[in-house]
Amino acid sequence: MRYALFLGCKIPAALPAYECSTRAVLGHLGVTLVDLDFACCGYPARSYGRDAFVVAALSNLARAERAGLDVLTPCTCCYGTLRHAMRFFAEDAGLRSRVARALADQGLAWSGTTGVVHLLTVLAGTVGIARLTDAVRAPRTGLHVAAQYGCHALRPSDVTGIDNPMAPTIFETLIRATGATPVDWPRRLDCCGDPLHEADAALSGHMTRTKIVDAVESGAGTICTACPHCHLRFDAARATAPVPEVRTLLYTQLLGLAMGLAPGALGLPAGAEGSPGQGAAGAALAR
Amino acid sequence: MTRAATRRCDVAVIGAGMAGMAATLFAAQRGLSCVQVGNAGGLLFASGLLDLLGVHPVAPGRAWQDPFAALAALARDEPGHPLARVGATAIRDAFDAFVAALGAAGLPYAPSTGRNQAMPTSLGTIKTTYAVPRSMAAGVAALQARPPCLLVELRGLREFSARQVVAALGASWPGLRYRQIELPGMAAAAELYAAHVARGLEAREARERTIDLVKPLVGDARAVGFPAVLGLARGADVHAAFEAALGVPVFEMPTMPTSVPGLRLLAALEAAVAMRGVHRYPRAEVRTLTFGAGGAAATLELAGVARNEGSERIVAGAVVLATGRFSGRGLVADRARVREAILGLPVAQPDSRAAWHRRDFLDPAGHAINRAGLVVDDAWRPLDERGRPAWPRLHAIGSILAHQDWMRAKCGSGLAIATAWAAIDHAAGALGAAGAG
Amino acid sequence: MAPALLHAVLAASIALCVAGVVWRVSGWLRLGIGPDARDATPWQRARAVLASLAAALASRRAPRVAGTFLLDALLLRRLFARQKLRAFAHLLVVAGITLLVLLHALAPIVTARLFPAYQPTLEPWLFLRNVLGAAALVGLAVLVAGRARDRARDGLPRRPFATAFAALLGIVLVSGFLLEAHKIASPRAFQRMADQFAAAAEPAELAALRALWARDYGVAFDARRDPVATTVTEQGIRLHESACASCHARPTSAFVSWPLARMMAPVTAFLDATHADAWLLHLHVLACLLGLATLPFTTFLHTLAAPASLLLDAVARSGASPGRAPAAAARAVRRTLAPDACVRCGLCDAGCSVAPLARFLDNPLLLPAHKLVATGAVARGRLPLSGDGDGRPAREAVRIADGAFLCTDCGRCTRACPVGLDLADLWDAGRGDLAASGLPGTATWMQARPAAAWADALARRAVPRSPDAVDATGALLSTDRRAFARCVQCQTCTNVCPVVAHGAMAATGVDLTPQKVMNLLRLGLADLALGSRMVWTCAACYQCQQHCPEGIRVADIMCELRSLAVERLGAVREERA
Repeated sequence: MRYALFLGCKIPAALPAYECSTRAVLGHLGVTLVDLDFACCGYPARSYGRDAFVVAALSNLARAERAGLDVLTPCTCCYGTLRHAMRFFAEDAGLRSRVARALADQGLAWSGTTGVVHLLTVLAGTVGIARLTDAVRAPRTGLHVAAQYGCHALRPSDVTGIDNPMAPTIFETLIRATGATPVDWPRRLDCCGDPLHEADAALSGHMTRTKIVDAVESGAGTICTACPHCHLRFDAARATAPVPEVRTLLYTQLLGLAMGLAPGALGLPAGAEGSPGQGAAGAALAR
Repeated sequence: MTRAATRRCDVAVIGAGMAGMAATLFAAQRGLSCVQVGNAGGLLFASGLLDLLGVHPVAPGRAWQDPFAALAALARDEPGHPLARVGATAIRDAFDAFVAALGAAGLPYAPSTGRNQAMPTSLGTIKTTYAVPRSMAAGVAALQARPPCLLVELRGLREFSARQVVAALGASWPGLRYRQIELPGMAAAAELYAAHVARGLEAREARERTIDLVKPLVGDARAVGFPAVLGLARGADVHAAFEAALGVPVFEMPTMPTSVPGLRLLAALEAAVAMRGVHRYPRAEVRTLTFGAGGAAATLELAGVARNEGSERIVAGAVVLATGRFSGRGLVADRARVREAILGLPVAQPDSRAAWHRRDFLDPAGHAINRAGLVVDDAWRPLDERGRPAWPRLHAIGSILAHQDWMRAKCGSGLAIATAWAAIDHAAGALGAAGAG
Repeated sequence: MAPALLHAVLAASIALCVAGVVWRVSGWLRLGIGPDARDATPWQRARAVLASLAAALASRRAPRVAGTFLLDALLLRRLFARQKLRAFAHLLVVAGITLLVLLHALAPIVTARLFPAYQPTLEPWLFLRNVLGAAALVGLAVLVAGRARDRARDGLPRRPFATAFAALLGIVLVSGFLLEAHKIASPRAFQRMADQFAAAAEPAELAALRALWARDYGVAFDARRDPVATTVTEQGIRLHESACASCHARPTSAFVSWPLARMMAPVTAFLDATHADAWLLHLHVLACLLGLATLPFTTFLHTLAAPASLLLDAVARSGASPGRAPAAAARAVRRTLAPDACVRCGLCDAGCSVAPLARFLDNPLLLPAHKLVATGAVARGRLPLSGDGDGRPAREAVRIADGAFLCTDCGRCTRACPVGLDLADLWDAGRGDLAASGLPGTATWMQARPAAAWADALARRAVPRSPDAVDATGALLSTDRRAFARCVQCQTCTNVCPVVAHGAMAATGVDLTPQKVMNLLRLGLADLALGSRMVWTCAACYQCQQHCPEGIRVADIMCELRSLAVERLGAVREERA
């Protein structure tokens, strides 16, 4: 199991814990991660021009193809962007030739053989739930976790290809493998609000806070994320307005703790392995 | 990077409307491995009410309170009607199974009375149906007993006018009255959408504040009616919370599509299907469908599948065609003829275009084109040009079938669920006999 | 040149240099980058910097701060980690020049004080001067060659007067070697010294001396004019020992000048005749003084600015804070200092995450090095963001804005910078300045006016499509009827849209809903949608596209409408129509 690791711009800049926990967990599970010279996935250019964003995205895939590797990314936003670019490239002949020319300017070419996979599908599928369960040494029993899928992992499903977009279960299965208890929360598939935070900060904050309230009212004490944007947005929401008490944890951190890895290796403060923690104020919806 | 291998299954269901979903559920319940292809968008137009058979015959528009008596009459008058060919017992079992599956997926229905029920709608009309969601059941009871009843409308939710309902029904229901409330936190909104309101009420604070606004308005009312906005994913809980707090039965009234009950139905069926381990291709279409000779399997090639998601090729022991009519694109009409979209199966239809429609668009007898569709044998297999099953284990169900006018007979859900049940029954038997699996 | 004149020129050069440095440093304290820049006066900023420094040195981290500074500023540790050859060459130049200045240029006040027996013509000074000069020259050559290669390959921004200054440095070093070589070989110089120190010698003794000097000291005597004995005799040696040896070591250790002197032997007579010792000396000294005087006005001010930046960086990392306002004021100084401290090494550009975009869009202002130059120019008022004074942004400003808002804040440039520039903070501040000058991010800008107002402005700018043109937007879903004709206005997209949902609750609201946007497309009125809030606050969460019963790619169309608007916006921004 060898992949080119695509971290994107957000993780190294703002959430290095995601990088170190991903490397720690995947390394422990025998997955080899190769570092190539990747640039931005092209997401900021999606509103700028289709050719531009496809060129940016495929510059990366071309490098991966040259190295004979599929791309694994822990950033859901990058995942969606790269796959959208692949689709536009596949369906539009005019764009294909223009982009090929632009890639050639950089000394690159892409023939379309690169695969792009998300961290969660690698863990659940390629590595497998059985191996994950075997690797768990310190089950996170008692932890009630709300899974935050992130939009670009699920929709549109003919681009993302992960699970059933209306009723996904893969993340909950992964959480269960760590010994924690996944909660069912009505807004679990909603957008976290991050894409809006520059265009309309109030609206974005409202979206994020509503999700947090929903998670806590459904009995969660932890929101588990698989995207740096979602993760940072939840953290930011807590800083700007009163929200119920909830902990945010990356899935790689949750899994790493369950596997018995040191919190420091996962970007967590020491002692994080001790308390599973539970929602302080969460009053579950009366059933 | 290599594509994943071909996916194999017992039953491939093409279509994700009511019929396709029902077939998938029934197949999975019987332990058959199942794959389902198609956009479930048609379900969004559902009202949540499940019709069995409401009107027969269509031309005079005779309504029935006992759908099984209607069925008997239908069997006499139109023995070729798909519902007549399923039979009462199977229909009952099918409905029970379907409703139970919905209940297990978080969308409970009121227990079946074996009779049709009359439900007040948001337009002030009265709709006759067979199965009613629990959140709407009190509306049926209220319409029957006509006690003092409060209807609550929400400022900004333009699709629901309690005032209009009272105006329409008030003559025969003197105790019916309405009030308007403004949802807390939505003062600035000029226009509200039902789904957003429904979601919003799942948050405790918003729900409690809304209840507080309604409570003083209840007065002597012995039932309170709302537009169908009481929760989306947690509808049962929100409804129960309202009832507990207001102290009287609370009911929802179905609204225009696309409505919250439609979204709930979609979510519940997707969840039910996912729960049973069915692999879904939500936005895919079947590019080609070919059949092996003799007892060999069918092969489906799909378009619109995400690269390296799963396979683009499915090999199935049996195939169920539940692709719907014109809006679902199971049937395609050009200027001269109607054809079946995937296999080009022969479609029973009027001889010429001129015979498609009657002169009067709203003719109560309907139009000949509405009854066009696929003709099937007793095992629900569509027939080819020679009148023989196109393939031993290809079945067709739902609204694509010929000899029915589901809109005017008010039998859409019944048609879908019953034919799905019957077809899967045959498919399971055939697969068992063929040793496939 | 008369000593008085020389001293006058020296004084003038120093004055000019100091004045230039003062002027530039005052710029760091006066100029503003970022909307909060004017919050502190220059005095406050100066005090803030000192306060930060004091806080850091008083903290527990003081040794680390000092150590980091010394390692990074003097020993170029960061540059070594990234570009070993360049770092090494740089060290050679800096060490060579600095020590030459101290030991050679300032010999009378430095070396002579430390070593009372100092004579420039003795060891180890002969050797040292050559080593230092050679090191500096080699280093300079490597740096110049490297820069030429980088410019050709990566298109780094030009540095004013860089070539001239490098040439000046080369002239200083080469003229120094030539001067020393000439002095070694020059019979005139020998004669001058002989007149001074061996005046009482007999002609025969002098001839013997000359023989020794010709053999051992490389003087290229012209035998016709100065009699040279055929062999070195005892007489010559004795005279040498009494008159010369105490101040003169054999110049063979001057491994550059000595061979050079030998090569110059044929032209020495000519050089003597033209008083080469004088004009070479003038050339050498004047080149030095010219360099000194002009230093603050060229990018070589980085000799001061870069260490200052590294010091402030080390202070910032120490975590010791003098208080919020002083910290902000110190940050303001770091920003204005940055364009001067930048050494245009290009490491930031090399790592830039959006480099492929910069290339494709042909906008180098997406790249950090260029952005920094532009930032400096804007701060100094050389590149006004709001164009020609009547409120319209300059074309260049629009391109700067594009560059600023396409940046992903990945931080690679900041991590790569060897002189400790806080580029991430600079880009943030720059965006604030752009917003304040009427050039905010596109999404914000679009919301300043309602959709109908935008429709007119954008409709007039429709770009004709040619199939072969390098087309920023590509094939269009928004004009191909097959993409949206099936819309039945069922409102499913609107019902699942979180922006519409939360807009109602957050009281910001959208002007159009998704299904209304689709309707506008069906009506052929896409232009009305281009400037709508819905399009510009769409989260691209794809709920609409996933749910649509007719399979319409609603969210893809939203993104496409945005890029269509951007395509037309360039011209509109400039005209502010």
